[in-house]
Amino acid sequence: MKNPIFDLENWREIGATLARNKTRTFLTAFGIFWGTAMLAMLWGGAHGAEGMLRRNFAGFATNFGAVFPNTTSVAYKGFNKGMSWSMTQQDIDAIRKVTPSIEHSTIMYNNYGNVAYGTNSTTARISGYEPAFSKINTAVVYSGRLLNDADEAQGSKVALLGKDLAAKLFGVEDPLGKMISAKGIYFRVIGVIGQMSDASISGRYDEAVVIPASTFRRVYNTGNNIDFFMYTASPGHKPKDIEPYIRRVICANHPISPDDDKALWFMDITEMFEMVDNMFLGFSLLALFVGTGSLVAGLIGIGNIMWIIVKERTQEIGIRRAIGAKPRDITTQILCESVALTIVAGIAGVCFATIVLAIVDHATTDPLLGSPGFVLTFSQAVGIAITFIILGTAAGTLPAIKAMRIKPIEAMRDK
Amino acid sequence: MIIQLKDINKTYPGVVPLHVLKDINLEIDRGELVAIMGASGSGKSTLLNILGILDNYDSGEYHLDGVLIKNLSENRAAELRNRLIGFVFQSFNLISYKNAVENVALPLFYQGVSRRKRNALAMEQLERMGLADRAHHLPGELSGGQKQRVAIARALITKPSIILADEPTGALDSTTSHDVMNLFRELNAEGMTIIIVTHDPGVGAATNRIIRISDGRIVPDEPIITDIKPQIIV
Repeated sequence: MKNPIFDLENWREIGATLARNKTRTFLTAFGIFWGTAMLAMLWGGAHGAEGMLRRNFAGFATNFGAVFPNTTSVAYKGFNKGMSWSMTQQDIDAIRKVTPSIEHSTIMYNNYGNVAYGTNSTTARISGYEPAFSKINTAVVYSGRLLNDADEAQGSKVALLGKDLAAKLFGVEDPLGKMISAKGIYFRVIGVIGQMSDASISGRYDEAVVIPASTFRRVYNTGNNIDFFMYTASPGHKPKDIEPYIRRVICANHPISPDDDKALWFMDITEMFEMVDNMFLGFSLLALFVGTGSLVAGLIGIGNIMWIIVKERTQEIGIRRAIGAKPRDITTQILCESVALTIVAGIAGVCFATIVLAIVDHATTDPLLGSPGFVLTFSQAVGIAITFIILGTAAGTLPAIKAMRIKPIEAMRDK
Repeated sequence: MIIQLKDINKTYPGVVPLHVLKDINLEIDRGELVAIMGASGSGKSTLLNILGILDNYDSGEYHLDGVLIKNLSENRAAELRNRLIGFVFQSFNLISYKNAVENVALPLFYQGVSRRKRNALAMEQLERMGLADRAHHLPGELSGGQKQRVAIARALITKPSIILADEPTGALDSTTSHDVMNLFRELNAEGMTIIIVTHDPGVGAATNRIIRISDGRIVPDEPIITDIKPQIIV
């Protein structure tokens, strides 16, 4: 006998059988269709959800750390514990000098005050950054330019305006080159900027005025004190690697015990990213778990339905056996029916999931941040389809063996 | 001799083993029209199953058309059934979702005959049965007599050595039974060997020879009517 897989007659017979039993075929196929679609949607959906959450951190350096002063917790060099202290420009210069693995760093000042243009005014955050800040938290430049080293060096009275603040103050007018006042000091607007994602440090760009740190220090009389120091580790290093250098500098310059781990407060964003990574690992595992569950349920469904089909068709199979079907003919028929159903329904399921994911992806695509990635890669799709086909065959095996064991006498008995 | 049974014994195992066939000796010649009759439980169905290579026997020898039927593999049994035997059942046993032509052609599918050829042969058989206009009807759309004629066409399509009919008129009214028996007689007149299992004396009387089975044994033959065509009493 010819190999049944390449035998057109065999497939015609199977096609005819499936086509003549439409309800049964549809119900079986729907189970498989839904199983594959669920698995595919969960897989692509998990990927997309991760993309959506990750998008919140877009434009944010992931190896970023920061340090703030805090009150001391250990009495040292004649000072009581609970002492307040401030970081100074000397600390920052020393840190930059001794620490080898800082890539970008900036000091940061924050203040709130009245910001006005002409007769429009509002209260807004006024921040002083060094130019490297835009390397740590990338800003979207809507017009003009960012701060540069010359602005910092010369202490220029220039300002970047957040896009929402610009809209509030200027309406439809172009803010570039205009003078605004911030807490009574006038600045020339050199750029309009905006936030790339939701993640920000001490507030979003959108509602802020950003001026050079050196200018901030001079015009707002901050003296030598510095609120906040931020840095990113150079490639191959972690922000944690930088902490001992900072601690050493601070302890050398201030009466703070080297054992005092409360006096310096370090923020390490990588820990947060690790947490997010772990969360997504959990999320993927959950999707895999649920997806595998639906896959197994689908397969049990196929096996079950094929089993019922075999029971229901005992007489037919008996007749076929009586008129000359060999056991292998019957097994082949049942298996081919289950495989044909699985292939068609499985591929339909993957296609359906791809369409649903494409719609979701389209709906959640952000003009600025792009697609969150609600997609199934080709290899994932093929993988799901192949898995389903293999397992579908396996699920059809038991009923096929049962069918093979049906004796032709049973058909005659069944009156 | 197309069928030769020699000392056939068959016991169904169980707590109380059931010895259903006891030393059956039977010879049937080519071209005979034979009825196997007996009460229910007499062993006639078991005998039919053995004759149809649907069941095994414990001891003895069974030759069908010169082939020893003993301890065959499932595959070989299926092949011989397909080639040598045409089955006609009481409940017709047509496949409900296949139309008349496809039902008739099915045995040829298992011989690997191409679709076009087997459908052509099936149409020929249906024409012979006077069912050409019903060829594309499903069994559910046919009357009992028509279904049985489709089943007979299916039995004939492989040009078998014998036709085995199990209560072929059991589900039919008297007129249709009459037609079906006439059909069997016509086929027999063309030289086909036909064995009918029945408990209907009318059907038995329409055959040329009656083999009676009682309690697993063959009751000695009644006189064989060969010269006179019997009256059909159905």
